[in-house]
Amino acid sequence: MTEPATATDVWVAPTWEQVVRDHSARVYRLAYRLSGNPQDAEDLTQETFVRVFRSLADFSPGTFEGWLHRITTNLFLDMVRRRQRIRFDALPEDTERLPGTAPSPEQVYADTHLDPQVQAALDALSPEFRVAVVLCDIEGLTYEEISATLGIKLGTVRSRIHRGRVQLREALAHLAPQRRPVAEGVA
Amino acid sequence: MNVPETHLAQEAIAALVDGELSGGAAGRAARHLTGCLQCRLAVQAQREAKDALHGSHDSQDVAVPGDLLSRLRAIPFTADVSATGPFGGGTLLASALTAPETPERPGQARWLRRGVAAGLTGLGLGVVALAVSLPAPDSTPVARTGPDSGSVTSTTGDRTELVPPVVRTVTVGTTTELTGGTP
Repeated sequence: MTEPATATDVWVAPTWEQVVRDHSARVYRLAYRLSGNPQDAEDLTQETFVRVFRSLADFSPGTFEGWLHRITTNLFLDMVRRRQRIRFDALPEDTERLPGTAPSPEQVYADTHLDPQVQAALDALSPEFRVAVVLCDIEGLTYEEISATLGIKLGTVRSRIHRGRVQLREALAHLAPQRRPVAEGVA
Repeated sequence: MNVPETHLAQEAIAALVDGELSGGAAGRAARHLTGCLQCRLAVQAQREAKDALHGSHDSQDVAVPGDLLSRLRAIPFTADVSATGPFGGGTLLASALTAPETPERPGQARWLRRGVAAGLTGLGLGVVALAVSLPAPDSTPVARTGPDSGSVTSTTGDRTELVPPVVRTVTVGTTTELTGGTP
C-alpha cells in the first residue's frame, strides 16, 4: 500500500526504501543527540520507523520531518520517564546514569562527529531542556515548530531553551574549565 | 539616556538570540542592551551555548550504522503491526502521535462536562426532594420528571436546556402550592 508510485500528481508517495534513505540519518542523529549513546539511538530510530510504517496511512505530504521529530522526541521522553520510574523504584538514592550505557568519548565522536564534551554536556541536561535545546540549536527548528512538536506553549519553549542553554554552558565549563565553552576547534 | 531598572526577561534573551522577537520587541531589547552590561553578558552566554551546539555538528553528517539501516529497510517484512519492540504497548503510539495536538482541550472539556453534569444531578435531586416533600397528589408527575431529567443530563451534556424549565415550574409549583394552601 505504501508504494503506489503513480506519477500523476505533484506529490508521489515515496517507497519505503526512499523513506528510510531520506530520513534515517536525521532521525538517528536526533536520537543520538537526545539519548547520548548508540544503543538507545538505534532502538529509538528503529521504533520511530516502525511507528512511521504503521501509521503511513495517516501521513499527509509536507509534514514528514515534523512528524518524525515528534515521534522521536516523544519516544525519547517516554523512555527517559520509564527509566526514571524504574530507577526510582529500585534505587531511591541513585541519581546517576545506569552504568554501562555511556559510550567513551572516542566512540561518541566516531559515531556522531559531535564534540564529545558537547554531547556529555547535553547528557547532563534534564530531558525536557535537552529536547528543546537540541530541536532549536541542532535541528534548527523555530520556536513555533518546537511548540508544535512537543505540545507545549511558546513561553514554555522559550524558558526551556533559555534554561537549557544556561545549564549547557555550566556543564561545558565544568567539563573543561581551562577551555572556553565555544567549540571553535571542531569545524 | 534613561536606562530602566528592569532587565530583559530570560525568555526574551533566548528569543533575541534566536531571532524570535518581533520587530518592536527586538528594538526595545536592543536599546536596553546598549545600556545594560548584565543583559549583554546574558545574551552572550546564550549565544555561546548555541554556538557550541551549532558549530559542533554540521560539519559532517552522522552515519547510520549499516545493520540498523538494513533493519529499517526490512521493517515492512519484519514489523509486527500489533505488537511492539522494546518500547511497550500502544499507549506509546497514542502519546507519540496525539500528544502535541491541543493537549489541554479534552481534559478541560471533560472537566466542564463533569461539572455541568454534577450540577444538574444536584438540581435533579433538589427537584426530587422538593417534589417528595410536597404532600399534594398533583405533585407526583413532577416527582417523576425530576429523576428523569437528572439521569438524562448526567449522561449527555446536550440536554441541559431541559432542566431549568422543570426547576422553574417546580419552584413556581411550590409557591403556588404554599400560597394556595394545601387542604
